[in-house]
Amino acid sequence: MSHRVLFASFEHEDDLLAAATAIRQKGLRIIDAFTPYAVHGLDRAIGLKPSRLTWVCFVCGMTGALGMLWFEHWAASVSWAVNVGGKPWNSLPSDVPVAFEAAVLLAGFGSVFALFAVSRLYPGKQARNIFPGTTDDRFVLVIDETNAAFDVVRVEKFLLAFNVVETCERIQDGGRYS
Amino acid sequence: MKSIPHVVPQTLSRRLITTALAAAAILAITALVAPDRAWANLLLSGFFLTTLGLGGALFIALTNVCGASWSVAFRRVPEAMTGLLPLGGGLLLVALVAHLPRYAWHHHGTGDAGTFWFKELWLEPKFFIARAVGFVAIWIVSSRILVNHSRRQDTMTHTATTSASGVSSILFLAMFAVSISLAGVDWIMALEPMWFSTMWGVYQFSGLILATLSAIIIACILLRRVGPLAGVFSHDHLHDLSKLLLGFGCFWMYIWFSQYMLIWYSNIPEETSYFIARTHGPWGPIVLASILLNWVIPFFVLLPRPCKRNESVMLKIACVVLLGRFFDLYVMIFPPVTGNVPVFGIPEVATIIGMGCLTALIFMRSFAEADAVPRNDPWLAESLHYHA
Repeated sequence: MSHRVLFASFEHEDDLLAAATAIRQKGLRIIDAFTPYAVHGLDRAIGLKPSRLTWVCFVCGMTGALGMLWFEHWAASVSWAVNVGGKPWNSLPSDVPVAFEAAVLLAGFGSVFALFAVSRLYPGKQARNIFPGTTDDRFVLVIDETNAAFDVVRVEKFLLAFNVVETCERIQDGGRYS
Repeated sequence: MKSIPHVVPQTLSRRLITTALAAAAILAITALVAPDRAWANLLLSGFFLTTLGLGGALFIALTNVCGASWSVAFRRVPEAMTGLLPLGGGLLLVALVAHLPRYAWHHHGTGDAGTFWFKELWLEPKFFIARAVGFVAIWIVSSRILVNHSRRQDTMTHTATTSASGVSSILFLAMFAVSISLAGVDWIMALEPMWFSTMWGVYQFSGLILATLSAIIIACILLRRVGPLAGVFSHDHLHDLSKLLLGFGCFWMYIWFSQYMLIWYSNIPEETSYFIARTHGPWGPIVLASILLNWVIPFFVLLPRPCKRNESVMLKIACVVLLGRFFDLYVMIFPPVTGNVPVFGIPEVATIIGMGCLTALIFMRSFAEADAVPRNDPWLAESLHYHA
């Protein structure tokens, strides 16, 4: 589904933060923001939902720990029981270190690959810089235009109060802007 | 920055003193009826309070050495905690000096002077007491130096004390690492003179830092509620302290398990005696409870972000961890002193309540000695605008 978006670019992070807060108070939706560096408080200002990556990490970690505990139990006392130092075959303490490592491994890889999948990153992907200034000295807000009440001229005038430098309309199609 | 006046409320102060005296009276009666049990409680409370005060100094030194700016806004809280050192150290020295014969090695050494000649030398009573006095003295002096650097800064406009506190902090950390390991070995591991663990020093550290972070969290939240830290201590500060608590909870469990697994795997009788006494039989459930309180509960509660930023959740979790610290020490100290069956009743509850009252009392007085915020610290502005 494609729809129209408005790009508004600023020269200072304070203007970006103030504009983002004000735009959301007017009932408009902000799709994204592009900045040269991480801006503190921007996630709250553009109304970003809390990341779900933590849950992916937790589920992967638990899968690693419980899966490895089950595997060690199966390997060491069901499939091929081996007497190690006279200990019982099913000895939990000896299983803990490997289960711990498996939890860390799966949680780490799971989080990274989930992040890649969600943000559609893969090796060899070409960089698409949607607005050249954002790698240098420009802070850009992407505002949704699908609201029927959206009036480009009025929004542009409203943004002048926040020292907007440039605005332009683009088409968003999936994750792409053209 | 305007300093906010704060005084110790008189009625609260009187109530705390009364309760602490009642607790002391209960322990005095216990000393007549069951001297071993009273001594174990005394040693536990002395060690608990000393390490809490020492932990405050450790937090200041650690953040100074890291060049951390986030913690500056509430640094007066760990500074005030160091005020616990004289009381904790006093209780500890009373326990050690007045009742040295309660250590099994006191009368007849370790029982095998030929094999354990170094241990015999190390546990020579005069040397033992001199070390204890030395540790407590050096901790009090060094924490005073750290606190004084910070308090002197309040009246200065240049940053000479900031760099001086950096150097003191580095020296403190080196001294701390050695002294806490030796002190833990001296006062607690030596209760069972024939037993040893190479993990003991780091195990003591892990419990100390866990209790310290909990106490800082409780103090900061309460001080924000009653005023002095209102508008200073933010959700982002709380969030970071909670993250540290979560991390060090895992660290405590990691160290606890490492010690257990090393001993369980090698299965040498002289090493396993510690865990056999504590995991086979009636002490077992208490060991499990200390693991539950120190790691399992805090771990799962502290994983979600909203919990780490919620002050009522954090207040409860910090109390759970402090109780966990009590049971951790209880499991270390009581079995060799009071025997194979756990004793828990009025004297232990009195110890917990008494320690709580004394901590609150001394903390409030110590906190009132200086401004609530280190107002001339060069990092203060950055700390006040901190985002986690």
